[in-house]
Amino acid sequence: MDESMSVTAPPGRSDRSDRTARMADLLDAAKGGSEDALGQITAELSPMLWQVARAAGLGADDAEDVVQTAWERLLSHLADIRVPQALIGWLVVTTRHEAWRIRSCGRRQRPADQEWLAAIPDRAAGAEEQIVLDEQQRALWRAVGRLSAQCQELLRIVAFIPRPDYQSVSAALGMPVGSIGPTRGRCLEKIRVLLADELDGRRA
Amino acid sequence: MKSPDDGPGQQLDELDFEILAGLRLLFELADPMPAGLPERVRFALAMRGLESEVARLVAEEDPRLVGARGTERSRTITFDSHSLSIIIRVEENKNGSVRIDGWLAPPQPRRIELQTSAETLAAAADEEGRFAFAEAPSGTARLVVVGAAPGDQGDGGPTVVTPALVL
Repeated sequence: MDESMSVTAPPGRSDRSDRTARMADLLDAAKGGSEDALGQITAELSPMLWQVARAAGLGADDAEDVVQTAWERLLSHLADIRVPQALIGWLVVTTRHEAWRIRSCGRRQRPADQEWLAAIPDRAAGAEEQIVLDEQQRALWRAVGRLSAQCQELLRIVAFIPRPDYQSVSAALGMPVGSIGPTRGRCLEKIRVLLADELDGRRA
Repeated sequence: MKSPDDGPGQQLDELDFEILAGLRLLFELADPMPAGLPERVRFALAMRGLESEVARLVAEEDPRLVGARGTERSRTITFDSHSLSIIIRVEENKNGSVRIDGWLAPPQPRRIELQTSAETLAAAADEEGRFAFAEAPSGTARLVVVGAAPGDQGDGGPTVVTPALVL
């Protein structure tokens, strides 16, 4: 997943199919009872599920619980899941539903202001190294902060879905098929406008 | 700038992908997953993966602490689960490995596995519930009393797993 961390162009087709093939092998092995394969899958996909849970407005402890619950649920359904794309879609949807369930229990209210938006990140929590963000990235972060809560959540989830899996995951999320659903399309459209505005504002 | 609602066939363009990749980086910086979460998940799954009972350590007796006979170094550990108890005695062999003698209560013939990070050893409990691993590697391991597969003979209850123990 590291290759997608950069803001450069996404990986090419061969990288993507390699990754999908590798995940398919791990999925088969996990179905066969390999704890090691299951461990590799959880290591690879848990960061995405963490983002899904946090995007739903959960606190850190609840988010960790929800990610664990999603994986535990998966064990009972592993036999039904045939391809990696279905695996990712299933996990994202299950994590999101579980996050909603926790929130609707009244245990946690969605914070009016997402605390993670309070400051432009310079580095990961606990990381030694300061990361220098360029103006484009700072403008992007300001633009995110101006989006509706719904668009923030949606784009945050989509940003962590591996590119070849957009189709199946957006279908699983209940967004109309096509490369982009209308909701996501509108959110992407909005952030493009906001981003342009932020960049213009800086130059003005 | 084109409309986002041109139809179902519309592809994301490179700017969309750049924005999404940029968001990914920013969210990873602003709110990274706690580093220990995958390990926590892996452990939780390992405990549940066999749809098994997890036995609880209920007693551990170390003769070195209660007055050992001679220089023999052995300890006795008892695990309890809903369907059975497992009692093991662990003794050090001269070559650094350990010998494990165990009993199941109630007594029953079952397949017993000793799972270590490197390998899985297998033994069979007899009618009296006795089993032994003559030479097991020292280190971290757990015992699995394997449940009967459908169609197997014997009354085989559910799979029972002990917590990891250091041999």
